[in-house]
Amino acid sequence: MVACSAGTAGNDWNSLANLRTRDVLRALPEGGGSRPERLAWAAAELGDQPVTEGNLQAAERVLAELAGGDDAIAPEAAYLRARIYQLHRATPDYARAAAIYQELAERWPRSHWAQLGLVKLALLELYLLPGAAKEEDRIATAEKLLARVEEPPLRRDLQLQIGLAGIALRVPIARFLPHLVAAARFGGIGGSAREDILVQIGVLSSRCGEWAQAREFFERYLQEFPRNARAFAVRERLAEVNRHLAPEGGP
Amino acid sequence: MRFRRRHLSLWFLLLAYGAACWWVFTRSTPVWRRRPVTIYFAHWQIERGPPAGIDAVIRRYEELNPRVHVVQLAIPGGTIYPQWLRSNLAGGTGADLLEWGSWVPGTKDIPARYFSPLTSELAKPNPYNRGTSQEKIAWQDTFHDGLLAPRRESPDPGQIYAVNLTEHSLRLFANAGLMRQIAGRVVELKTFDDLRRLLVQVRTYAQRTGQPISGIAGSRDTTRALVEPLLVPTMLREVYAMDEGGQLFLYNRQLLAGYLEGKWRYSDPAVKAALGLIREVTDAMKPGFQQLRRDDAMLEFLRGQALFFFYGTWDATSLHQLASFEIKTYKLPPVTPDDPKVGPMVLGIMGEGMGETGLSMYLNKDSAHPAEALDFLKFITSVPGNQIFTDHSLWLPAVNGVVVPEPIRNFRDYLQGYAFGQAPIDAIGSEASMEWDRHFYELIGEQGSVDRFAATMDRLGPTAIRTDLTSELRNTLLLVKPQDVQIVGWAGLAGDAARTRQSELEMGQTMSEGLALQMRRVLEKTAN
Repeated sequence: MVACSAGTAGNDWNSLANLRTRDVLRALPEGGGSRPERLAWAAAELGDQPVTEGNLQAAERVLAELAGGDDAIAPEAAYLRARIYQLHRATPDYARAAAIYQELAERWPRSHWAQLGLVKLALLELYLLPGAAKEEDRIATAEKLLARVEEPPLRRDLQLQIGLAGIALRVPIARFLPHLVAAARFGGIGGSAREDILVQIGVLSSRCGEWAQAREFFERYLQEFPRNARAFAVRERLAEVNRHLAPEGGP
Repeated sequence: MRFRRRHLSLWFLLLAYGAACWWVFTRSTPVWRRRPVTIYFAHWQIERGPPAGIDAVIRRYEELNPRVHVVQLAIPGGTIYPQWLRSNLAGGTGADLLEWGSWVPGTKDIPARYFSPLTSELAKPNPYNRGTSQEKIAWQDTFHDGLLAPRRESPDPGQIYAVNLTEHSLRLFANAGLMRQIAGRVVELKTFDDLRRLLVQVRTYAQRTGQPISGIAGSRDTTRALVEPLLVPTMLREVYAMDEGGQLFLYNRQLLAGYLEGKWRYSDPAVKAALGLIREVTDAMKPGFQQLRRDDAMLEFLRGQALFFFYGTWDATSLHQLASFEIKTYKLPPVTPDDPKVGPMVLGIMGEGMGETGLSMYLNKDSAHPAEALDFLKFITSVPGNQIFTDHSLWLPAVNGVVVPEPIRNFRDYLQGYAFGQAPIDAIGSEASMEWDRHFYELIGEQGSVDRFAATMDRLGPTAIRTDLTSELRNTLLLVKPQDVQIVGWAGLAGDAARTRQSELEMGQTMSEGLALQMRRVLEKTAN
């Protein structure tokens, strides 16, 4: 990660964090001098409204040059460059973005940006990139990328995405449910996604007969969200799960 | 000498007048600001209650914070607030704190564009709760429902953007005296069939006496609220069948995708059964009700020309203050599995949850005073702040630990049952909703029919719903793209807080991208 003292004033990073891109462009009218300044300038160009193809091309040129270096700035620049092709351009170039993510992960495998890039690459593999003969192959490809992700929060994010993709791609539950469970057990999932994943694991576990796991997650849901409108249905499902568990010696 | 002095006085007066004109026409701000910071709090709750409640909270807050002046802006809802909101936000003159709701037409993109997430602040205790039962509890957990709606309506599934001031539910308000005249007693309504039978009695009474009395006070707004709970009971099996992910609930994007994938149609028997229920209640309203607004329906009820008025508990304060008769409040009686007309299609009773909080306030990301605005939000949603709001507005509190005043205590008695989704099918997207409203006349009245309305909606549905899902996708991407810039910004800053914020943003962005890719996949698969 780029330290704030590495040649760029903390003000520029602060402005970017708060999406005040115009302030950065005003502070760096010539595009910046040091490598951190040039990275900040390119990032500001990506977010400055209205975004034009011209801005994106100018940012991409700077990022390509920065990515050719061998310091902490280089992987971050490469990551942003891939994001331009994947997300920011009016017509995305997913294959190009995927190639940059691959190269980034090979060159700086331990860099945070390479690790984050692997998560984004996995998303492309799950939904967009050609080559998968059947939907389960997409899950398998993402799992191979998961094996290369070492940062625990990013592993959680990717496991959650593999689980949700499993539902969307309609692959057998047993194939993706362990990823959802791993993501939920790691914790830190916020907003509505937190409620959803607890109910989902409960329901999907019931559907494939994993009663103890279903009970655990239904109980967690009721403990955390007793007032949610879904609590009534969850209580009903939990009672059903308990009926299944009773003959097995459960309480 | 005297003449010269008078002349001088005249010049002096003219100069003072000129200076005053210059100030008024060029500055229009007070000459002396008594407080260095002014924040603006904008909402559309102009009913009786909330403006007084918010005023009382502001008075107390200003006593505690002599630097800050809070200005309440009560903007009429309907068509004015959405236009006011968008034009001010786009022009950079938006209030610091703004009310928003996902149902406000044409504003779906607003949170992603203009509001700041409050997630990290919500994880910490609210300092204004010191010395109360909520003292050491994370701010988000001090709300009665844990902020269900702000979580559900967040443009970014990992973030929470709003806090709520009150709790509300939909209720059927009855003119008890009129009910005694019509039915001989105050009737208990346990099921929808009880209501159905009472509405028939009202019609018979009106015909017999020649009085212009309707069963339900009708208007475009209140009918919408009444229609939605009726759309749900017969459709629940369909929703659960579509729920491949096991959420026991469907988001709008999932209902939209389900339609495009052919999983449901307006002409399905379950939907038609619901449309039949809607015909039954609209038949109890006076003709032409669709041209009327909420206030017209309220007046019809207050004049004693309708037995029931159906709307939110937010109108209870106004009704109790304005009515010259005794009002009895009911929950909308549920459509049950033993209903004589649609019972076999009903899985079970639809629930109201345990109360959902509302009046969601958002922080403008371009606020000139974000710290002060956030501080005021903390005060108004603290135990002491929310108590003041509740006592002065007679609206239910959103915060645990606030004592509910006696006159509104029974509003917290909720119907337990199944949940459906983010919105019933009349409100899953702007275009679909607009077509629903535009063609609603084909459903109701003597000329209307369930089959005709369902056929029209299925003819228009594919285009409208595709447009709505495309909008959902566009709004998600609107949020995702600038997050790349923010992530780089936070990565450049030192400290644990910056690392936490970076990690939260990365998680939220990845989740939003996943959703966007799912929507995109459905749109591509169902094209043509």
